Amino acid sequence: MPVSPYEWNESIRQRNEYIEDRLKDGSPVVAISYDNGVLILCLRPTQRKIFEIYDKLVLAAIGNQADIESIRTGAIDIAHREGFSRSPDDVSIQRIVGFAVSPSIKKVYADPFAAPIVIRALFAELGKTADVDQYLIVSYDGEFTRSQHYAVIAGTDYAEERVLNHLKSETEGNIPTLQQALRAAVYAWGIGRKHIEEEDREEGDLPSDREKSGDVSDFLTEHLNSGWSVEAAILERSSHRESRYRVLAEADLAETLKAYR
Amino acid sequence: MIDSNDTGLGDFAALFDGGTGSIFAQTGPAGAHGVPAGLDTHSTTVIAVKYRDGVINVADRRATAGYTVMYDQAEKVLALDDYTLISISGSFAKSVEVVRYLRHAFKYFERSQLQPMSLDGKLQELSRVIAGNMAAAMQGIGAFIPVLSTFDREAGTGRIFFYDAMGGQFETAEYGAAGSGSAPIRGVFEYILRTKGPFREMAREDALHEVLTLLEIASDLDTATGGSSKHLPAAKYITADGIRDFTEDEILTALGRPTGNAR
Repeated sequence: MPVSPYEWNESIRQRNEYIEDRLKDGSPVVAISYDNGVLILCLRPTQRKIFEIYDKLVLAAIGNQADIESIRTGAIDIAHREGFSRSPDDVSIQRIVGFAVSPSIKKVYADPFAAPIVIRALFAELGKTADVDQYLIVSYDGEFTRSQHYAVIAGTDYAEERVLNHLKSETEGNIPTLQQALRAAVYAWGIGRKHIEEEDREEGDLPSDREKSGDVSDFLTEHLNSGWSVEAAILERSSHRESRYRVLAEADLAETLKAYR
Repeated sequence: MIDSNDTGLGDFAALFDGGTGSIFAQTGPAGAHGVPAGLDTHSTTVIAVKYRDGVINVADRRATAGYTVMYDQAEKVLALDDYTLISISGSFAKSVEVVRYLRHAFKYFERSQLQPMSLDGKLQELSRVIAGNMAAAMQGIGAFIPVLSTFDREAGTGRIFFYDAMGGQFETAEYGAAGSGSAPIRGVFEYILRTKGPFREMAREDALHEVLTLLEIASDLDTATGGSSKHLPAAKYITADGIRDFTEDEILTALGRPTGNAR
């Protein structure tokens, strides 16, 4: 254990550096509330990133695969135990994240002899209307922030900020349809990923003038052509199906991706 | 890290009892012979038949306890997942609990294992629950018999399974029925098969007409089965596109009654 406040500070600093260094290449995952549900989307080479947790709860995360897996299964276990012994209505994002996920992450983070959990996780909860959909982003130290209408996780703060900026201008004042949300999400992903790749090469934040539409479109085309695929899932507000969670098929995405192929 | 079960294999029951047995493997109260007949609410005629594009499920809406009609709007055809319906007969309380359990068990498996539970896996789970309930059922409380129907997407066809009280599972080629009203109408199924041909070749409206007529006959012959005069029976169907409810008009038409404004 650290013996002085200085050592304690120092160990925390090194811990943060270690984790942030391992997160910094993380590709963005974008979530947007649309009129009939919640859309979560990312592009990735192979590994799945978006997971159903419970009836109205979905998780997307970047970080260490094993860490994501343990958070995912832990959240699923708790949600199902609670949903069965009480009611599915009692399984809320606030209870799962606030009382289970966040404290567990914090506990490991605060133990200097435990390997830290390398994760940045986005939880989304479907509400009755788009205005009450909730997004919680959980950081590696257990801190979480709440947002509405849209949310993003990415490897660096700057990339996240640029994506949020784009989503803000896209959704300003109105609730998008699924097609509009898909278009905005794919493009926003392009902006975020582009910043991450360029930051990696050039060290340090890049000005936003690299976000000109031609640049981002070419960037997206390049990724789609080199084997990256879109992973997109929705939680549907009203559906005749028993499950609200649905992974979008290639056909659902064709219209949006046409522009980049 | 987060409190999680060690099996890691998507066994929902293990979340509760550490995997030592089914959460339904419990006996009834010791020496509980002669449980008062009115204690347990029962519910009654459920029918599943195949038709050209899938499976139809219908059920009356009456729930009884002893000689008392407890409820006239019971929902006995319930979705377990996007392609599976369970129709329940017997103890209402136990059935509802079992349905809640199965829904969670199937979804828990799919969500944690990132692949849906196989049809065989689902059938096995249901058999296990019925078998686990045997001891209580023998003592006269909580017995229930379901009919399970599903659309088998690999085979591209509807499938129907019915059960005995020990959890024995039987697949049927044409129809399945359960509940006190099912025995008196059994011969009618055979009559329809011989005179009108197999259900599995019928159009949706025709098959619906046959099963609703069967349900009406059951309600005439069995006091625990409700008729359609007060509340329309429940009717759902499963196809490759999932589960749908028959509309009120479709049900009225199949019953030969006027629809819409003409009512």
